[in-house]
Amino acid sequence: MLAYVLRRFVVIIPTLIVVSVVTFAIIQLPPGDFFTTLQAEVAETGGGQDKEVIKKLQEVYGLDKPVYVQYLKWVAGFPRLDFGYSLEWSAPVWDVIVSKLAYTVFLGGLSLLFMVVVSIPIGIYSATHQYSVGDHLLSMVGFFGLCLPGFLLALVWMFLGIIILRIDVGGTMSREMVNAPWSMAKLLDYLNHLWPAVVVLGLASTAQLQRITRSNLLDVLGQQHITTARAKGLKERKVISKYAMRMAINPLISVMALEIPKIVGASTLVGIVMMLPTLGPIFLRALRSQDMYLAGTILLFTTLILMLSNLLADIALAWADPRIVYT
Amino acid sequence: MAKKILSRRSFLKSAAISAIGIVAAGCQAKVVEKVVKETVIKEVEKVVKETVVVAGTPEVVEKVVKEVVEKEKIVEVAKVSTRQAPMLQEMVKAGELPPLEARLPLEPLVVEPVESVGKYGGTWYRGWRGIKDFHCYGRLVYEPMLRWPRDPADPVQPGLAKSWEWSDGGKALTLHLRKGLKWSDGAPFTVDDIIFWWEAIEIDENISPAPHTEWVVAGEPMKLERVDDTTITLKFAAPNGLAETVGLAFHGNQWPLGFERFGFFAPRHYLEQFHPKYNTGATYELFEEKAFDYNTERPSMMPWVITTWETGADHMLATRNPYYWKVDVEGNQLPYIDEVYFYLVEDNPAINILAIAGKIDMQNRGIEFAQITVYQENAEAGGYHLYLWSRAEASSPTFFPNQSYPDPKYRALMQNLKFRQALSLAIDRDLINEICYLGQAIPRSITVVRDSALFQPDIEDYYAQYDPDAGKTLLDEVGLPVGADGMRTFADGSPLELIVETQASGAELDGIELVAENWRALGLEVTVKTMIRDLYWPRACGNEVMIGTWGTDRGLVPMIDPIYQFPFDERSWMAPSFGIWYKTMGKDGEEPMPELKELMDLYDEYRVTADPDDQLDIAKKIVRLSTERLNVIETVGMMPSLTVVKNNFHNVQEHHTSDWLIMTPGTMDPCHFWME
Repeated sequence: MLAYVLRRFVVIIPTLIVVSVVTFAIIQLPPGDFFTTLQAEVAETGGGQDKEVIKKLQEVYGLDKPVYVQYLKWVAGFPRLDFGYSLEWSAPVWDVIVSKLAYTVFLGGLSLLFMVVVSIPIGIYSATHQYSVGDHLLSMVGFFGLCLPGFLLALVWMFLGIIILRIDVGGTMSREMVNAPWSMAKLLDYLNHLWPAVVVLGLASTAQLQRITRSNLLDVLGQQHITTARAKGLKERKVISKYAMRMAINPLISVMALEIPKIVGASTLVGIVMMLPTLGPIFLRALRSQDMYLAGTILLFTTLILMLSNLLADIALAWADPRIVYT
Repeated sequence: MAKKILSRRSFLKSAAISAIGIVAAGCQAKVVEKVVKETVIKEVEKVVKETVVVAGTPEVVEKVVKEVVEKEKIVEVAKVSTRQAPMLQEMVKAGELPPLEARLPLEPLVVEPVESVGKYGGTWYRGWRGIKDFHCYGRLVYEPMLRWPRDPADPVQPGLAKSWEWSDGGKALTLHLRKGLKWSDGAPFTVDDIIFWWEAIEIDENISPAPHTEWVVAGEPMKLERVDDTTITLKFAAPNGLAETVGLAFHGNQWPLGFERFGFFAPRHYLEQFHPKYNTGATYELFEEKAFDYNTERPSMMPWVITTWETGADHMLATRNPYYWKVDVEGNQLPYIDEVYFYLVEDNPAINILAIAGKIDMQNRGIEFAQITVYQENAEAGGYHLYLWSRAEASSPTFFPNQSYPDPKYRALMQNLKFRQALSLAIDRDLINEICYLGQAIPRSITVVRDSALFQPDIEDYYAQYDPDAGKTLLDEVGLPVGADGMRTFADGSPLELIVETQASGAELDGIELVAENWRALGLEVTVKTMIRDLYWPRACGNEVMIGTWGTDRGLVPMIDPIYQFPFDERSWMAPSFGIWYKTMGKDGEEPMPELKELMDLYDEYRVTADPDDQLDIAKKIVRLSTERLNVIETVGMMPSLTVVKNNFHNVQEHHTSDWLIMTPGTMDPCHFWME
């Protein structure tokens, strides 16, 4: 098992190298670079720099060098946790993303938790009460969640909050609280801004997970060992939790692992709409302004999250199901 | 033509300042007042007597009076002045800050209120699109050597420099800084900070490729002559007509003003240690970082200095500068507002959401006119009201037929005045106004706005009448025959296709489509190509676009950057190649035809005319010629610019022409905005 995990870790490295090349190439595709974009952007709101100034700046920051030189310069710093310099934020990339990365993982983790806590009980209920009014009702809600993209839900929430309820939505806390010392009120305010984000991010996947739980459980419930358990007079609760669910859970774990990158992806748009400090807003900004080292690093970390979550899922599967053997 | 600029207004101001000094002494609590009076009288009697006996010259007497004033100050120190913000009073009491008298300059700039004298306190919330949106902050803290006037008809006003005078026939300009100015860290602000900017930044090729053109007269960079701590003389090889406006009012800020990279001074005492010239251990990259406006440690002369800003933060905070050098008419130190809070958002829609929710106290930047009905519906609930300023945009969309287009056939066509006249007459400007701007813009073709000193009403709608038949006649005269399919061709029968390229979207793009439709009605084949800005900009500047589009802003003081008046540089898309020729003084680019050269010669003359009246005449002539030659084809302009102001927010002008060149809303002195 340990050898397997180690081997998987080693495989991650070449994948990351390929990903870094591809992302860097893609980021370089649009014409121009950071400074020409800056020039055009500033010009649009009235300002503007001289062509010679731009040239000077390109030389200072090495943007006049060939692409592969820029790429190697970027990659060379990786072992030292140096992911290059963000031109827009005029700071090392790592300093820019570290807090956002942490918040993204934190928010993603909470959404995952929300997803599990909500979808599995609902899934079980739907399966055990198949075609009942409750099943139909919950399925309907689930389908809503499935077909509404996260950013739309976020927009609806923002609209409700701002126009109808007139409360402070968006961001991680109210503006009055930002510079206040930590207190009960501040914590409550923080949580009040956190839960909508968790719900919005978790809801889309919740629906899917709920449907999968339901169908898996329905499959298992029809099998012979369940009938046997019931015939032997086991309590229904025990039949479900001890025998049926344990069989039904494997596909769930695999699906959950697939949901993690989805949550990270959704957090980009939701983060922008709800003004959250996830990686999303700075990623979009970096792409727009052609801040290539920053954009590349964020893509790289997103890939890393995806691969790590797959690995975690495999390990969780092994832990949940003794039949799985790793070689 | 030496002339001292000391207007009646500034004389009154200095009179007011002296009065304020007396009032300040008199307004303390009663007990203290008594003490003050006693001390002053005693000193005056004693000292004046002595002087009269000993020396008796008026100069000496003046000196002694100054001494007395200083004594008066010492008495005041005992009590913390209430003419400063409460937060600063606390700091003075705690001994963390010198008393107000020691922080203010001897002659603070007195800000005349737009509306009223205000109260201290409050946080001004704004929506900000991040680092590159520097002007969201930069224009609130517009603190140059000389200031643009509040009323565009007035001349340039005193700023950090209290007065200035020309000598040597316009070849020397002497600036007198206010005495006792201090940086936000308390260090004195002197002419050395100007000399440092010149020597370490402006003429250091590692930072600036070349000094700005207003400082290079007749091919020679200016020379700085230090007279004393607060007096400096700028010497030019020829009369300099751009120094006051371009050099000191527009560029006269602290370097680098965000990404603009222009300025006129920099904190020598702080930056010297980071500059390779003064410290061999430093690098230019480090210098850039430390000199940059977002460095919270960097001293500044602004009313609010950035105090909270770190990479990855979700907001930026700027807090009051305790050494700020302006007071209101009652002698209270400005700014009134304690701090400015900038929400970091992704785009304009997010700013508009915040504003509609009533979370922005006052903002013009990023507020979308298209959303006006939503704003109106939510005004009461959001607790704000709306001002409709006018944009200094002579027109939008504006078309730039490229007179230096590489293809000779099309180039000849674009250079033909009759062709451009036909294009202009074919445009139904009223329709564009109705469809794109709710009828709120003005159909026009002059290249400046009405508030500009260069405005000439008789040519405002020159060739701007909707007359497609006249347009067709003109095209016939140009020699573009109509083919069998009803479309025009070149005289030799080869196909003719006008390609309009644009990065526009929304209302502006609708306008472009309408114009294309108008032109097709003349029998011209027109293709509109839309692309992203990053593609469009380099193509347009690279002389690759046949007919470019953009909004012609800079309509208030166009001579600062006359890119829309004639080919000035590569950004003049009516002929980028000719513009490069002008900019490089004939080294690169292509030589233009005489009618464009005439405009360039006029501007050359403008640059070496130091007399404002003569300058105005030349500038008006440039505007007239550029309008009559239709170098750019304008549609509708001066559209409203929506400003959101909370009901408890004061001193914002209701009527204003907003322009980035005058740093809107900088001319309203945001330091004297206040909140109930």
